[in-house]
Amino acid sequence: MYCSPLSPALASGNSTLVLVGHPNVGKSVLFHRLTGTYVNVSNYPGTTVEAARAAARFDRAASLLDTPGVLALPSRSDDERATMRALLNENLRLIVQVGDAKSLRRTLNLTALLAELGVPLVLALNMADEARARGVAIDTAALSEGLATPVVSTVATGGEGITALTDTLASARVPAPLLRYDDEIEQAIETVAALLAESAPHPHLAARGLAILLLGRDSEVERWIKTQAAGGEILARIHGLAPLTGPDSLPARLARERGRAAAALARTVTRQDAAPDRTLSLLFGKIAVHPLWGWPLLLAVLYAIYLFVGDFGAGVLVGLMEEKFFAGILNPGITDFVRTHLGQGWLADMLVGEYGLWTMGMTYALALILPIVTTFFLAFGVLEDSGYFSRLSVIANRAFAFLGLNGRAVLPMVLGLGCVTMATLTTRILHTPRERLITTFLLALAIPCSAQLGVVLGVLGGISFSAAALWGLCIVLILLFTGWLSGRLVKGHRIPLVTELPPMRMPVMGNVLKKTAGRLKWYLAEVIPLFLLGTFIMFALDRLGALPWVIEAGKPLVTGWLGLPPEASAAFVMGFLRRDFGATGLFILGSQLNALQAVVGMFTLTLFVPCIASVMMIVKEQGIRIAALMLAIIMPTAFFVGGLLNHFLRFAGF
Amino acid sequence: MIARTVRIRLTGTPTGHRVRLAEFGEEIDPLQREQLIAYGLTAQQTLTVLQQRPMTVILCEHMELALEHWVAHHIWVEEETRKPG
Ligand SMILES: Nc1nc2c(ncn2[C@@H]2O[C@H](COP(=O)(O)OP(=O)(O)O)[C@@H](O)[C@H]2O)c(=O)[nH]1
Ligand SMILES: [Mg+2]
Repeated sequence: MYCSPLSPALASGNSTLVLVGHPNVGKSVLFHRLTGTYVNVSNYPGTTVEAARAAARFDRAASLLDTPGVLALPSRSDDERATMRALLNENLRLIVQVGDAKSLRRTLNLTALLAELGVPLVLALNMADEARARGVAIDTAALSEGLATPVVSTVATGGEGITALTDTLASARVPAPLLRYDDEIEQAIETVAALLAESAPHPHLAARGLAILLLGRDSEVERWIKTQAAGGEILARIHGLAPLTGPDSLPARLARERGRAAAALARTVTRQDAAPDRTLSLLFGKIAVHPLWGWPLLLAVLYAIYLFVGDFGAGVLVGLMEEKFFAGILNPGITDFVRTHLGQGWLADMLVGEYGLWTMGMTYALALILPIVTTFFLAFGVLEDSGYFSRLSVIANRAFAFLGLNGRAVLPMVLGLGCVTMATLTTRILHTPRERLITTFLLALAIPCSAQLGVVLGVLGGISFSAAALWGLCIVLILLFTGWLSGRLVKGHRIPLVTELPPMRMPVMGNVLKKTAGRLKWYLAEVIPLFLLGTFIMFALDRLGALPWVIEAGKPLVTGWLGLPPEASAAFVMGFLRRDFGATGLFILGSQLNALQAVVGMFTLTLFVPCIASVMMIVKEQGIRIAALMLAIIMPTAFFVGGLLNHFLRFAGF
Repeated sequence: MIARTVRIRLTGTPTGHRVRLAEFGEEIDPLQREQLIAYGLTAQQTLTVLQQRPMTVILCEHMELALEHWVAHHIWVEEETRKPG
């Protein structure tokens, strides 16, 4: 029986419903189900980094908010602070707590805190399918009675329980508190709550809940209280109440008592039955992190990616698109059309000439780059959804420790092989500014994106396997060396890795396709304007007769130090816009380059400036000073190391 | 009678063994301690060690957790003893 009074929040027509829960429990899938708006879903903890908002399907006047996962509250990490901010600032009608049905204890631990906020709450126990597969049976009716608010079991990916969930939203109540803390703590809570209620009442959160958060030293709530008139005074009073650090600190005691209450309630409503067989998923999960077998599996995965992206994407698809479709059919037709209507003037040249916006810019973007990134994003999506990446972070942890990072950085680094710009954005999943800085730097310097990788392997692979292998070896060495160096130079400590390993799952194809489509849209919107701009600059330089001048100016560096033909200067100019664009520029020179020149050229270009888009992303994420500093380091380094390689290879008689 | 139980390090626990969490060493800083508790590692919780290399992987209820050796080294556990009867 639900008998708590209708909360003021519900009555006054507040309009935001917020999804809150642990990382990787299915909040984003549920968000998609409830709003029809797709946000990034990933089987890797911590991938929702910004709150997303959309109108709810069942009530167009209400908006639904998807928040980053919280491991626990009071908030400690950036993600948790973002979620706390949403709770503090949103016009909350309702909290939908999304929990993992197979770890009810952990879920209720969070409920124990959310229940005190004075906001109606519904608990969605998601992943009910996985709980069933493990023989976990939860008595939702009993749990709902215990919490005095609806509890619904759901399978977000399969759409199970979604209607039941939306139907119960109307009967959501402020949950019954799960526990009374011990007397001493209760007294502290009451004191602080009274202070808050009197001199800093929050528009919709209960004073008691805020008091518990403040006593637990939630930095976001502290920030909020400082904006209140009596804030400083209240904070000073709180700090005088109890010891705030050490194993017997107030935050630790609060957390411990919530943990006990959650465990007790979970035990009374859970039954553990014998589990049916799920050997395959377990076996895969086990092999993936096995100290020995993990490596062959990784190689097999890499090989499969190579076959799909390198062979099929960069080979078959590019062949079809570029040679058969664009060069064979489309471009002659378009060229004819333009020439007949515009004649032979500069305008026609600009569109379909040697440096034509269509014949060079769009053709590169659509025929060369698009097939490669499409196949890459598909492969990446499948791996991401399967749960392999978090296991890869276990295997790769030691190597990343060498770079001063931890295995979590594996996701942005691998994504960087697809698109460095996107990967730079993804560094947000890392936990400390230090890790973000190092990863961003390594991405900018030494990770070739798929488009570039495709072109590089196309050129070098065409020369010989050893040329391609040599290039790869040099890149890995640079990566290790600069990573090692920055791990030592960047201030701060390396954080040891502690991570959850979500179960291996069969990738949901619809999910993978949607995610790939989203990434492609983002990618094309970024790439096409830059390719067109780049082509136009090349065209203008050519027209103005400046290209020879550029080539002349770059001669000492490009010809003398790097040992490349003078025309390669143009490729470096193009490389400013996008590295793959520059690589394509070298590609055109292909036949004029010998093996040594090709390796040195591609190597230097890989290290050379990250593309404009990723520079802008670095500015956005790290600030202009850091971005400028990175460029100031990267450009000279690229030419310096490239030259060293040139001289070394000549000396070694390559 | 209460038998004295021996505390061992989580890193010293053979693969496949079930142990009970005793406490976190002083070396684990408060933030990391909170993180571990949030993952469900509370005193007396039963854990199964799945592997020790390249990282310590444990099963806590139905969740697999990977811990770097430095962290696992400072987690003290007790071997699970069968209840009489
Ligand atoms: N088996 C199963 N998988 C699910 C369910 N809900 C979500 N997933 C998967 O769990 C992973 C995490 O989902 P996501 O929505 O990104 O979690 P979030 O971090 O809470 O936003 C994805 O791989 C989903 O496909 C479910 O009910 N059952
Ligand atoms: Mg999410």
